[in-house]
Amino acid sequence: MFWLAFKTGLLTILTLGFYRFWMKTRLRRWYWSATRPAGIPLEYTGQPLEKLLGFLIVVVFLAFYLGLANLILTFVSLAVFAEYTFAYVISAIVIAPLWFFAQYRSRRYVLARTRWRSIRFGLEPGAWGYARRALLGWIGVVLSLGMSHPALRFQLEKYRNDRTFYGNHRLQQGGHKTMLYPAFVHLALGVFFTVGSFLAAMEEGQEGIAMMMVVSVPWALFGLVHYIVEGRRIMASHLTTGAMTLVPKPRVLKVLHIYVVGNLFRFSAALLILMITGFLFLAAAAAILGGFEFLFQMDPDEMAEDVFLTMPAWITGALGLASYFLLFLVWSALTHAFITFPIWRHYAETLQIDGLAELGEISQRGRDEFAEAEGFAEALDVGAAI
Amino acid sequence: MTVIRIGAAPEPFQGKGLYFDGDSALPVQAELAMDERRRALMILSDGREPVVWPLDDIRALADQADPEVMTLRQTNDPIARLVLSTEEERRIMQARASNLRKAPPVERKGRLVAWSLGAIASVAIMVTVLIPLLADGLAEYLPPAGERALGDATLGQIRTFLDETRMNPLPFCEAEEGSAALAQMGQTLFPDGIGEQELRVYVLEHEMVNAFALPGGIIVLFDGLIQEAETPDEVASVYAHEVGHVVARDPTRIALRSAGSIGVLGLLFGDFAGGALILFLTERIIQADYTQEAEAAADAYAHAAMADAGYDPAAMASFFERLRDEYGDTPGWIQQFMSHPNFADRIAAARAATPDDVSDAPILSDADWAALRSICEETGETSG
Repeated sequence: MFWLAFKTGLLTILTLGFYRFWMKTRLRRWYWSATRPAGIPLEYTGQPLEKLLGFLIVVVFLAFYLGLANLILTFVSLAVFAEYTFAYVISAIVIAPLWFFAQYRSRRYVLARTRWRSIRFGLEPGAWGYARRALLGWIGVVLSLGMSHPALRFQLEKYRNDRTFYGNHRLQQGGHKTMLYPAFVHLALGVFFTVGSFLAAMEEGQEGIAMMMVVSVPWALFGLVHYIVEGRRIMASHLTTGAMTLVPKPRVLKVLHIYVVGNLFRFSAALLILMITGFLFLAAAAAILGGFEFLFQMDPDEMAEDVFLTMPAWITGALGLASYFLLFLVWSALTHAFITFPIWRHYAETLQIDGLAELGEISQRGRDEFAEAEGFAEALDVGAAI
Repeated sequence: MTVIRIGAAPEPFQGKGLYFDGDSALPVQAELAMDERRRALMILSDGREPVVWPLDDIRALADQADPEVMTLRQTNDPIARLVLSTEEERRIMQARASNLRKAPPVERKGRLVAWSLGAIASVAIMVTVLIPLLADGLAEYLPPAGERALGDATLGQIRTFLDETRMNPLPFCEAEEGSAALAQMGQTLFPDGIGEQELRVYVLEHEMVNAFALPGGIIVLFDGLIQEAETPDEVASVYAHEVGHVVARDPTRIALRSAGSIGVLGLLFGDFAGGALILFLTERIIQADYTQEAEAAADAYAHAAMADAGYDPAAMASFFERLRDEYGDTPGWIQQFMSHPNFADRIAAARAATPDDVSDAPILSDADWAALRSICEETGETSG
C-alpha cells in the first residue's frame, strides 16, 4: 500500500500533476480489491483516460466561469469593501453550489464504475437537487450554530442512498432524521465547553477557566470521531435493498486508536525529513566554507538565517524543493498506509451482510457512460479520501 | 469435445474457478480446461454452454490487493469475470495467457485530442484576451480606497517574495534624513500632487536595480537602483516614470489581471502547485511587462515632469546608457531590465525631450543626495 501510494505520488509530481488520474485509478483498484463483502472482492473499473477527458471537458467551461468570477469578485470586494480578503469569502459562497454538485456527480461516477460479483452499482441523476438541498441545509447549519447538522447529514445521505442501485435493485435508506442526534452529543458538549471556557477566559480575564480546555478539547475530538463512526454505523444499519440488510459494528475506540497511531507516524516521519533537510543544509554550507568552524563564529540567534545566506540560491532552492516534495509524498503515502486503509479495513471487517439469498434475484444494470467522469470534482478539488 | 494433440503435448490442465457471467450476482463453480486446438480457455459448468476465452484475449486485473487471488477478464466481454484462487491455476495462466498484463488500448483518441485542444484554447483565450480586456475596463472604475487595498496586499506579497528566506517581509529603508530627501524630490517634481491619488514612496533594501509601481499610488524603489545612479536626477527620472504608470493606472490593470489568471491557472493545477503559482504571478507583477505604449506614455510623462520642474529629462538617457554599457552582456534579471525591445528608442526620446533651459544644479543638494544614498542604514517593518 505504502509503496503503491509512494510510487504513484512520485509519478504525479514528476509529471506536474498529470499522473494524478492514473494514481487515483490505481489506488482505487487496490482499495476496492481489498474489500470483500461476503468473500467476493469489489472491482473498480474506472479508467484514467476517461478521468482525464472529463477533467478537460470541465476545464473548457470552468475556465470561463472561474476566471470571470475571480476577477469580478476581486473587483467588487475592492470597490465595495476596500478589502482584498473579502473576495475569498464571496468566492467560497459562489463556488459552494458547484462544489456540492461535483460531490454528487463524483459519487455517481464512482458507483457506476464499481462492481461486486460483476454486477454494477449505480446512482440516478440528481446532482442539482442534491446541491440545492445541501446549500440550504448548510445555511441552516450555520444559522443554528451546527445543531441542525445531524438532521442534514441524515437528509443528504438518504437523498443519495435512495437513488443508489445495486444491479436492478434499489437501495432504501430507512430511519428518521433525529436518528443521528445520540451520536452527536459528545461532539456538541465538547465544543460547547471548549468555546464556553474560551469565551469566559477572554471575558473575565480568568486564566483558570481556560484550564478546562485540557479536558474539553480532547473530548470534542473524541466526539468528532464518535459522531463520524457512530453516524455511519446508524445510517448503514438502516440501509437495505429489500431482503439484504447490513449489520455494521465499527468500534469508535478502534478508529480513534488508528487516528492517534497514524498521526504519530505521519508527524514523526515529517519531523525526520525536516531534520535530515536541516542537516543537509549544514553539510552543504560546510562543504562550501570548508568545514564546520563557521558555526562558532555566528551569532546563535541569527545562525539559521546566516547559514541560509551563505549558500548559492540554487542549492537552497533545490534542497528546499526536494524536501518539500519528499515531505508531501511521504505524508500522503503514510496517510494511506496508516490511516485511510486501516480505517477502511476496520469498517469492512466489522460489516456483516444478511439476506444474501436475494442475490439470486439481482441482475445487471446498463452502463452509465458519463463522459465528464469526475471532472468537476477534480477541477474544484472536492476532497475525497481516495 | 475432442482435442487432438500432436507431439509433446502440455500437461492436460484441469482447474477450478469462480465464474461471474455478468448477468446474475450468483457465481458459478466452473471447471476449467484448455482447448489446445483453439488456444483457448474453456469455462465449463453444469447446464450451461461452455464459455470459450481465447488465451490471447485474457487479461488480469491490475493493482490488486491480494496476490493470492487472480481475477481474469476477456477483452471482448466487458462484464464477465473469472476468479482463480489457487497457486497452480495462477501459474498456468501466467505461463499460457501471453497478454495477461497488457494495458487496454486507448479508446476515443480523437475526443481526447479535441477536448485537450479545447481546454488549452479556452484557458489561453481567458488568460490572454478576455481577462486583460475586462481587467482594463474595470480598472477605470475602481475607487481609490479599493486601489489602495489592492496595492497594500500586493506590496505585502512582493516584500515576502523578495526576502531571501521567503519568510519575513523585506524591510523598508527609512533613515530619517534619507526619507526627507526622498520626500523633497517628490515635492520638487510634483509640487501640486498627482491628481486624485495620494502618492506613497518606499525604498526596499534589495540589490536589484529596479523600481515598480503598485495600485493605489504606491511606488517602490530598490536600494540597488539608488546606489547604481550617479546623480539624483537619474533617480528622479525613474521616480517620475513610475508616477507615470500610477497616473495611467497600469499597475491596477496588471493586478486585476493576475487575480483573474490565478483563478484559471489554479483550476489547471489544483492544489498541487497553488503556492508556486502565486509566486510566479507575483514575479510577473514585479517585472511588470506593460505594453510598449504604456512604457512610452510613462516615459513621456516623466520627461514632462522633469522638464516642468526645470530639470533635464536626459538624465534618464544617461542612466540607461550607463546601465547598458555596464551590464550589457550580463544574463538574468538585469538583462530583462535592460533588453526592453525599444530601449534605444527610449534613450533617444529622453534626449529629444530636453528643453531649452534646464537647471545646472541637480535636483537634490549634495548633502541630501548623500542622505538618500544611505537611506537603508535604518530599516523598519511598517511605514516608509
